[in-house]
Formats: sequence, C-alpha cells, structure tokens
Amino acid sequence: MTGALFAQSLVLGILLGGLYALLAAGLTLYFGVMRVVMIAHSAFLILAAYLAWYFHERSGLDPLLSLVITVPLFFVVGYGMQRFLVSRLRPISLTTMSVLLTFAVALTIEGLLGFVWTGTQRRVQLEYSGASIEVAGVSIAVVKLIAFALAAVSLGALYLILRKTSFGRALRATTQHPEAARLIGIDTDRVAGLGFGLGLATAAVGGTALALDYTIYPSLHWHWIGPLMAIIVVGGLGSIPGAAMAAMLLGVAASLLQVPLGTTWAQTVFYLALFLTLMIRPQGFFGGRLAQRF
Amino acid sequence: MPNGSSNVRTSRPTAVRAARTVALLALVALIVLFPSLAPDPFILSVGVVILSYAVLATSWNLVGGFTGYISLGHAAYSGLGGYATALLILRTGMDPWLALIAGGLIVAVIAVPVGIASLRVRGASFVIASIALVLIVQLVFQSWHTFTGGSNGLRVPRPFGTEVLRPEQHERFFYLHAVLLALALLTWWLIERSRLGAGLKAIREDEDKAQALGVPTFAYKLTALVVSAFFTALGGGLYALWFGYLDPIFQFSILIGSYMVLMSLLGGVRSLFGPLLGAVVVGYAVEVFKSQYGDTQLHLVATGVLLGLVVLFMPDGVIPALTSALNRRRGAASIREVSAEELANQREETAR
Repeated sequence: MTGALFAQSLVLGILLGGLYALLAAGLTLYFGVMRVVMIAHSAFLILAAYLAWYFHERSGLDPLLSLVITVPLFFVVGYGMQRFLVSRLRPISLTTMSVLLTFAVALTIEGLLGFVWTGTQRRVQLEYSGASIEVAGVSIAVVKLIAFALAAVSLGALYLILRKTSFGRALRATTQHPEAARLIGIDTDRVAGLGFGLGLATAAVGGTALALDYTIYPSLHWHWIGPLMAIIVVGGLGSIPGAAMAAMLLGVAASLLQVPLGTTWAQTVFYLALFLTLMIRPQGFFGGRLAQRF
Repeated sequence: MPNGSSNVRTSRPTAVRAARTVALLALVALIVLFPSLAPDPFILSVGVVILSYAVLATSWNLVGGFTGYISLGHAAYSGLGGYATALLILRTGMDPWLALIAGGLIVAVIAVPVGIASLRVRGASFVIASIALVLIVQLVFQSWHTFTGGSNGLRVPRPFGTEVLRPEQHERFFYLHAVLLALALLTWWLIERSRLGAGLKAIREDEDKAQALGVPTFAYKLTALVVSAFFTALGGGLYALWFGYLDPIFQFSILIGSYMVLMSLLGGVRSLFGPLLGAVVVGYAVEVFKSQYGDTQLHLVATGVLLGLVVLFMPDGVIPALTSALNRRRGAASIREVSAEELANQREETAR
C-alpha cells in the first residue's frame, strides 16, 4: 500500500467512524436507560434517509433541510415507542424480549419502505454530489465531510446535554442506578422515554447524512446494524465514550483493510472484533461495567 | 407460600393421559395420511415447507426453550448444514444421505467455538453475537466464489434419480422431514426428563442460583447449543436436498432465524409441540402471503406485526395461554412447573 493510498483510506475511515460513533451513541443511550438492545435503530436510520430523499424529490430543496422535520419527529416517535411499547414488556425478560420487539419493528419498517417506495435503489443527486476537496494529496468528497460534520456536531450536542443540563444528570443517574435515581425524586420513566427520543434523534441525523452519500434500499439496514452492534459490544454496552472509540477504531480498521481485501471481506473485521471481545473481555474494552450481566 | 403445595408433581388423571395419547395418534395419522389427502403437488410442497419449518423451530427450541437464550441467528446453522451437505456431495462424491449426516456433524463441531464465545455472556450480548454469526457467514459465502459458488448460488444434486417424478419427490421428502421432526421431538422429550433438562431449565429461570447449586451451567448450555445446531443443520441439509438450490442471501437470512423464534414463541417455548404448532400457523401464513402478494414486501410487515403482538401480549405462547385458561375454568390446582417470574409475582402478592 502506498503512502497516499494509506492516507486516503485513513481519512475515509475517520469520516465513516464519525457516523458510526454517532449512531452507536444512540444505541448506547437506549441500552443505558432501559437495558434495551434496539435492533430497529438502523431501520429508523434508513427510514430517515428515505425521508430525506423523498423531501428532496418533492421539494427540490437540499435534503439537509429535512432534518428540521425528521429530528423532532423521530424524537417524538422514540419517546412514544418507549412509553407505549417497550415499557409494556415484563421487567424479568426485558432485555431479550426488547430485542425481539425492536426486531419486529425493524421488519415492519423494512416491509413498509419496500411497499411504499418499492425495492428500487434510490440516490440523492445534488450539485455538490461529485465535488471533493484536496488536502495534502488526499481528496475528500464534500458529502462525506458534511456527514462527518453533522455527526460531530450532534455528538458534541449530545455530550453537552448529558454533562451540562439537569436532564442529562437525571439521565445519567437513571443509567447508573434506577432505584437510587427514583429515591432522589427523578421520574425515571419519563427520563427513559426522553432518552429513547434522544437516541432515535441520532438515527434521524445519521439517516440524513447517509442519504447524501449512499445509494439506499429497504434492506440496507442489515448492513448497518451488524457493525453497530459489534461496536457497542466492543466498546462495552452502555458506555458512550467506549462506543465512540470503538467506532473510530473499527471504522478506520475496516477502511484500511478494504484496500488489500475488498469491501466484503473488510466488513468481517467488525464481527471478528465482536467475537474476540466476547472471548477475551465480554464486558467490552472501554468501561462498560453494565455489560457483564446483560 | 400459599400455593406451595400445588407445585408438587403428582400423577396426572388418566382421562388427561388418554386424551393426550389420542391427540398424539391423531397427529401421527394426519402426517402419515397428508400426502394422499393433498389435492395437488403444490399443496404437498407447502406441506414439505411447513414440516421443514417445524424441524427448524423444534431444533431452535432445544436451546431457546430450555435455556432462554434467544438466538436470532440460527439460520447460520441451517444454511451451513445445507451448504455442507451440498459441498460434500459435489466435492467428494459422497453418498447424499451420508453427506447429510456428515454435514450435521460438521456444523455441530462449528457450533462448539461459537458457543464458547457467545455463551459466556447473557441476554443482549448473546443475541447480538447470534445476529453477527449469521451476517458473517452470509458475507463469507457470498464472497468466496471458488468454494461456495458465491452469490450465483449452488445447485444441489438430487438424491433420487430422474425417474422419480416431482409429486413422488415431494412425498418422499415429506416423510423424510416427518422422520427428522419425530427425532427432534424425541430428543426434546428425552432431554426434558433428564438431569440435563432440569439443569437447563434452572439456568433459564435463574442462572446465578443454578450455578450456586452446582449446575455446570456452561457445559450444559454448550451441550444444548451443539445438539440444537446439529438438528438445525440436518433440517437445512434435508431442505437443500429437496429444494435443489442454495442462495447465500436466502440461506443465511435473518428472516429465517426470526421465523424460528416467532414460531416457537407463538406455540410456546416450554411445550414439546409448541414450535410445531407455531410452524403450522406461521409457515402456512408465510406461504399464503408469498403466493398472494409475492413481489411486495408485505410479508415482512405481517411477520413484524405478528412477532410484535406475540412478544407484547403472549410471550409464553398459545399452548400455555390456553392451558392456563382451561385450568382456571376447572378451578383445579394445576400440576405444573412454576417459572421464577410467577414465583416472584406470588411473593409480591402475599407481601401486600
């Protein structure tokens, strides 16, 4: 591998890793507040991408503007999903049953996408779709840069919400010890609902970013959920910094391996990392105190 | 404990036992007679598909029902079973039936390291690992053209000669699937009554307590997974011999794995015939949907909605729901095992 090719792959890996990090942060939020593994996360991601595409088709405006609609919409849907679906499950088998429930939601979304917009592959065509910037011999597509910027800004906002606001403190308390949180007067049910909404909002942002750069089709979400799941296990279930670091590392690794191995084989790095983690350190490599028992 | 005495196993009334025997005989008679009752080969082929689903769901239940470890990636084992059988026939010229059994054994061996990695963690991580497994095999079988035929698929040679016509083929495979189903059910029944079964159910109800009581939890879980993988692979292999064609996208699809879960949950994971019942209902529905709305994605929506409803409102399945309704009607103290959850509920009620 030449130096230029290496640098190119490295940059692409970092850009992709940013998107992975944002989406994995959403998954971590659900797991944190409810111990729920949200299989439908990537189905909502693709749904948001379709909405961005449809918005662009209909209005001719930039698909980024669809964020104004999709982010609040997904927040409400996430809140509703927690309050009306997930909270109905029995606490004793919550984790496994929530996997099945969200899996059912994912299938339903995939089926409806295929039904409404058919299985045809869709792609957003923009004036800046083919544009790229060249920095030190590395050319970077503008759309990838925008996607990364969106992810970085959203992750930063998420960090600020969790660290600086009283809602963030309540959410972290709920994650760490729900009973204790209730004892000091936190309405953990409401917090869990809002945490879900926040998590789903990351899927809205991610989906819009995805629509700029990728060809989308209804079953695409399976290509995303596998790597994302691997990332949150490697990072340690429930740890947002862990998820972000694992996302960067694995994103870069997959991007670098793509050159000698090709796209398909490079994807296996996520699953190999997953199984290695389970063998060596089942609770994950970064933090993830929660993961041991779930 | 107010209801403690009702948990003791006593012998069932003879009427119940007789009714069970009659029901079992009726089931066997129905399966034996089905090929001659089926009006046309298409219905017969639907019968083969449903029996194949029943084999897969019952095999899934060997691990899912006993241990409570929900695997969404069991399609990996059925697909590998199909490919192992086909590749053994094609590459080594092995006898098809020998290849089927050898394929099952190979997959059982593959399940050992997979189990060692994924059974160390509970609940969420296990499900994630099971999904990852099916995605990884799909990637490998799509990309490894020289060995597996890649995305073009693989033609499986037929075990019966060309002189055996289509309807005759369907009939033979119907009975072969029935035999395999009987073996899987027998295995479930035997395990249920064994020390292994008691240990596995203890793991399902409370793994920490089971471990504290000296149940070798890891070895038991691994045994259940390997046996389950073996039967699932046989199911996949037999289906491959019948269908005659393998495509990695369909063989290693998460959808197939989710069918197994849906069928078992719908029928009831704690009962012997639960998965079979679920397979009949879901398998029939899937076939109808595919023939009615073939090209649309509506069957995904139907599967998703049904799975969601079962998980939300009937997580124990149809059979337990009906049995408990019957028991309530009779007002009799039921003779049954009590799950850890029911015990917790009872305790909460007495505490109030």
